[in-house]
Formats: sequence, structure tokens, C-alpha cells
Amino acid sequence: MYGWIWRHLPGNAWLKALISLVLVMAVVYVLFNYVFPWAEPLLPFNDVTVDNQ
Amino acid sequence: MNVASTTDDTEYADRSATRQSPRRPDRRRRLGPVAAVISVFGELLITAGLVMGLFVVYSLWWTNVLADRAADKEADKVRDGWAHQDDGSRRPPEFDSGAGIGFLHVPAMSKSEILVEKGTTAKILNDGVAGYYTDPVKATLPTSDKKGNFSLAAHRDGHGAKFHNIHKIAKGDPIVFETKDKWYVYKVYSVLPETSKYNVQVLGDVPKESGKTKAGRYITLTTCTPVYTSRYRYVVWGELERVEKVDEQRTPPEELR
Repeated sequence: MYGWIWRHLPGNAWLKALISLVLVMAVVYVLFNYVFPWAEPLLPFNDVTVDNQ
Repeated sequence: MNVASTTDDTEYADRSATRQSPRRPDRRRRLGPVAAVISVFGELLITAGLVMGLFVVYSLWWTNVLADRAADKEADKVRDGWAHQDDGSRRPPEFDSGAGIGFLHVPAMSKSEILVEKGTTAKILNDGVAGYYTDPVKATLPTSDKKGNFSLAAHRDGHGAKFHNIHKIAKGDPIVFETKDKWYVYKVYSVLPETSKYNVQVLGDVPKESGKTKAGRYITLTTCTPVYTSRYRYVVWGELERVEKVDEQRTPPEELR
């Protein structure tokens, strides 16, 4: 999978490495801003109140 | 087949290059279909592990950064609002003094002050504040001067982790609630290190589990326990000892000095 992506990036090894870095940062950005905030309330780690439910 | 030995035959070499290109820089290892599937599966597992690791970083670090930023902003609004409340002329009427009602100081738990806002929904607590209960039991605010229980909740981990060190609070420690013109000094008299998350009795006006039987002016801090999970709830109770007026310099009561 990652090999396939690497082969399909344009340019030489340096350019590929640079593009990979940008891609990784984009993925982390999307995770931190959209995926994790969405997933967090669904996981049982951070309920702090007492309630009836 | 030896391509190099026939390079003088240009026509053949051209055709050979388009068909096979033996000097391709990334020569692909030929994997069988089973090996290819296993390889992709393995990469997916590694990816899942990395994403989970990132989630831990997100919950224990990044949410704190965001929450502290939000809480600092709100706290500034509250302090600004207090400072300008009396010289009304300079303040535009739509001035937003924020949602905070005051600050909680618990020297045994944390050196910094904790902003208190109304409500205990995730949206409110995620801004790095302590919220007072409106549901399932309505908290009695100390400013109302009535007997009752001022019940609060905040995060143990992530989102500011304002009650992270709640286990460091011992009997006799002070809890001070600061409003615009009063210091409400409470003293911790009981700690419940573990209770069910459905135990709403702990928020009652007279919290019986703390040993009290008569109405009084109490404060209750709740958060989740053990640390990093939310299996149970940790509860700390305090009772109002005295109320001090805030002076010109906002000199804190002796418990905070």
C-alpha cells in the first residue's frame, strides 16, 4: 500500500519524501481536527459527571 | 533473453524499452496474490497502531492545549468584566463578560485557578473549566446565600484536566471560590475515592455519604477515576467556613497565600 503510493508520487526521491511529509501532515491535521473530536465522545474515557443515564 | 547484446539494433531496443524497460529505477518485487494481501493487511495494522497512538497524543496533550487556550480567554473576559463593571461609562452595553461566574482555587490540587461556568455538558467542560451541575441535581450557588450543595464537575484527563490531581486533596484542605466581591472559603471534610457513576446522591443538598445529616452550605467536586478512565467517580466534599469580602487589591484569603 505505502509502496504503491511511493511509486506513484512524481519526481525523485527527495521530492517524493517531501510530498510524503506533506501528506502525513495533512492526515494528522484531518485526524486532530475532525476525526478525533468526532470519535472522542463515543469512547468511554472522559465522562466525568454523575448522572442517571 | 539478453537485451544488452542487441542494443546495436535500435528498432529492437526501442520496442524492448516500451515493452519491458529493464532499467526501471523501482523494480517491483513480484508478490504472489496471497503475499500481496497479507502485506496490505500488515500495513493497515501498522497504520491502525499509529492512529491509536496519535489519539492518545490528541487526548492527553492536544485537548489540554485547546482547553487551556479557551479557558484563559474566558477567564480574561470574566476578570475584565469585573474590573469594568463599576465604571459603567467606558463599557459598551453589549460587552461580553463571558459565561464564567467565578474562580475555584484548590491549592492542594492545582496552583492555577479554575474558571467555573454553568452546566456540565461535554461542550462546556471541554473548554477547560469546572461546571456546576444543573442536571440531574441543581447546584445551589454560594452567591445565593442559601443552604445547599455547590456541586461541580471537571475533567480528570485531557480538555484542561482541571481536576487531575483531585486525589491529592486531603481532609482539612481549603477550597476557595472567588467571585467578583466575595471569597467563599470551604474546608474539605470528606472524600469518597470511588463511587458508581450513577450515584447522584453525592450531589444532594445534604450529601448523606459524606456523613452530614443537616442542611448546610457544602461544596462537592466530582470527576472520573481511576485516572485515564471513567469507570467510577471520585468525590470530594467541603463545607463553607467563612466568607470574606474582596478588598481593593483583591488580596487572597490566608489559605491561598
